Order: sequence, then structure tokens, then C-alpha cells
Amino acid sequence: MAAANYKHDNTVERSFELFVLQEGEKKITEKVVSGMSNCSDFLLLKEDHTLGNLLSAYLRMAPHVMFAAYKIGHPNVPEVLIRVQTDGSITPREAFLTTLKQLVALYGQLGREFQKELALRKYADQSENAAADAAGPSGTSGQNGI
Amino acid sequence: MDYDPMIMDDAEALGPVVKISQADSVRVKWELSNTDISFANSLRRVMLAEIPTIAIDLVEIEENSSVLADEFIAHRLGLIPLNAEGIDSLLYSRDCDCDGCCEHCSVRLILHAKCTGDENMHVFARDLVPTGDRINQVLGTPIINDSEGLGPLILKLRPGQEIKLECIAKKGIAKEHAKWAPSAAIGFEYDPHNKLHHLDLWYESDPKAEWPPSEYAAWEEPPQEGEPFDYDAVPNRFYFNVETAGPLPPDVIISEGIKVLQQKLAGLIHELADEGGDGGVNGDGYNGGGPRSPEYGAGAGMDGFNGGYTTPFGGAAAGNQSAWGGAGGATAYGTTPYGAGSSWS
Repeated sequence: MAAANYKHDNTVERSFELFVLQEGEKKITEKVVSGMSNCSDFLLLKEDHTLGNLLSAYLRMAPHVMFAAYKIGHPNVPEVLIRVQTDGSITPREAFLTTLKQLVALYGQLGREFQKELALRKYADQSENAAADAAGPSGTSGQNGI
Repeated sequence: MDYDPMIMDDAEALGPVVKISQADSVRVKWELSNTDISFANSLRRVMLAEIPTIAIDLVEIEENSSVLADEFIAHRLGLIPLNAEGIDSLLYSRDCDCDGCCEHCSVRLILHAKCTGDENMHVFARDLVPTGDRINQVLGTPIINDSEGLGPLILKLRPGQEIKLECIAKKGIAKEHAKWAPSAAIGFEYDPHNKLHHLDLWYESDPKAEWPPSEYAAWEEPPQEGEPFDYDAVPNRFYFNVETAGPLPPDVIISEGIKVLQQKLAGLIHELADEGGDGGVNGDGYNGGGPRSPEYGAGAGMDGFNGGYTTPFGGAAAGNQSAWGGAGGATAYGTTPYGAGSSWS
């Protein structure tokens, strides 16, 4: 029974089986769905809704993708299955890769935007604090409302 | 909110837009807009559960004559926030070559206290003393934010009682145990007027009177009287409130969250492009089939982060050298063929 659903056999040694690949496991494998045209299943091991929902949502927005969805077969089993069907002009693998690269770039852009905004926020806070200091002793520095 | 109109000029036309309404050493309140809810939610999930920090994981108790059981104290010790600055250069102990733990994958802390007076003694986190070699001078030091400089109370000792123990703090993520969570809480909110009807608000007689408006309600147009439901509307503005528990500054939690998520995605690109052999990115050392940690290529491209967190906080605002500080999109993946630019807007 423990082998069928190892999370029921919950011990301290196994606590990172949720996110660390075991010997010989591959993070992602593609399996072509035989009954449907231009359709593949991607099995992600040791992943959860974080990637499943993100990838299927962005695949659905991608061009040439007709269908994309994900499922997590059992809440205790850290595996995500993402099915992608395209219109035939690109393969599901190409669509998947394009989406992945797009997301890496988007998060990179978010990081840059955030650092830029943060520097501006700090600058605004500093000048406000300087003004407050000039007017009188300030309370906690850095506190700032909207 | 008074400075944003001008900075939109050089912002990339499409893609995520950030507005920060408050940023201090404890929290960052910000708005993420022009993106999908899955994009925002994945970032939230990663910030909660997958940013590596350090926490006490093993406790060797030499003497415990206090009233608390050994395992009770061990649990309390595990929950004490430790400084995680420079955690990138610490190895996961499961990835380390050593037998058990060493200075490359752990930090040792010693606690020794005995009540010799005739009043009860309080033992605080400040009494935990890091010993041995460390990666830097702050990694693994208990976070102390109170004005007296005491830190969290661990236990109390009656006269004559003694506690002597040695702790081993290890790197981990909150998916394994919540003690590794860098954030105390992450507020996440969208659609403050509930125009999308994602919430079904329970009420006694009048929902308007019984549900006070969120602080973000003023940021968005309230619904008009008798306005028809918009079936095509999707959430577009997401309000984050990232509050740190101490291990990392709140802005670093956000940038680290982005980094971890990019690493997860990049790991998939490497494996998928490599497996197909379609001339894409060739994994450099990413393809060993053996067990590995979520942090792909810790030594490879991440060196920009190693020198500690030069956040704009505390230091000069100019010293903003995170991995994506550079204008040319020098992300953690700047050297790979796909991370260089922002051609994917």
C-alpha cells in the first residue's frame, strides 16, 4: 500500500520527495497522444499548480494552440499532466517551448520593472523623509502611506 | 502614487506593470497589472513556498533540566527566523558531499544557559550563538527586531535549571516545512468591488453595510447602479502585500521569487529542448539524471547574487545590483539564448 501512494507513508526522510527528483527521473517528458492529431501530453514530475496553471493558461493564449489544460491526478502525488493540441502549423513541443521562453522573459521584465519602481519609491520616500526631518523630528523612517 | 505618470514613458509597452505604494524594511505593498491571474498567482505561490532560507533542522540536546520536553524545545528552535543573507552560496545538505553536515551546507548554533540567580531566567533567541566557519558573518544569525535586542523567547528556567544544546541550521524551502518560509504573510487581492463575482459574499441583510470596502476599493471604479454583468471581464490588477518574517528583506523575497520561478521554467526549457535535440539550448550540466535540488545550476549563472543582497534598503539607492538591475536585461539567464532581451512582450 505504501508503494502505491507513498505520501501515506509519511516520514521525515521523505519530506522532500515533493520537490526533489529521484534517481533517473526526468523533470518533463512528452508523450504523443495517439488518438488525436497534433496533440501531446507533457508529464512534469515533482511540480504542482504553480507551473501547471501558469503553463496551461499561457498555452491557451498562445497562437496555434487549440487546446491546453492540466491536471493533477491525485493531490498527494506531485505530478502535473499538461495536454496541448495545436492546429498543425507547429508541434505541441514547439508551442510549449515558446510559451516557456515567453514566460521566462515576462518574469525577467517583471523583475526589472519591480527594481525600477522600488528605486523610485525609495527615492520618493527619502525626499519625503528629508522634508519631514527638516520640519521636525520624524517617527519611524521609511513608513509611508499611499 | 504621485510619481508614476512620467515613468511609463520608457516602460516596455506590453507586459507586467508594477506600482509600489509602500516599501519599508518589513513590507512591500505593490500592484501588479496588465497580466494574467495565473502569472500573479504563480509568483505568489513561489514566494510562499519555494524560496530557500535557513532554519534550525537538527538539535542535539546535552542538558535539559527545564520544564519543557526536548522535542518541544527543538520545535520552538526550528521556528526561530534566521538571517538568510547569502543563502545562495549555501548548499542543500542532501546535495553536499559531506557526511551529515559541514560548513558548506549548515550553520551551527550553540545555546547554553543556566539559571544561577534566585529569579526565573528568560532564554531568548539572542542567546543562540553561531559557531564555526560560516559562509558570511550574518548567515544563520537569529533575527532580532525588538527594541531591547532580545529576539523571540525560547524558554524560561527556574533557579538551578540548565539548558545546553547544539543546533544545526540547514537550507530548505517552505514546501518541506513552513519554518523555511521567508514571508510572514503575502496579501493577495484583486477586484475589490467584486465586479467579477468571484466571491459570493454572505450577508445578513445588506452586503454593502456588512462588508467594509477593501483599502484598494478606492483604486478602482466602483460599479455603477444597475450595471449589467460583464461576462468577458477578467481580473487584471493584483494587489500584493509581501510581509517578511525576517530572513530576507521583503523586496528580496519578491525578486528571489521571480528568480526561483524563472529557474523552474528554465529547467523545463533545458530539458525539453535537449530531449528533442532540435538545436535549441543544450543543457550544460543540467541533464544528470540523478537527484537534484530545485535550484538548478546553483553555481552556474547565479553569481550576480552571491555578494549578499544589495537591496536599495539601508544602503544608497544606487546600489541596486540585483541580477536584473542592469538595463540590458541581465537576468539570471542573461547568458542563455532566450533570456537576453525582452522580445517576448
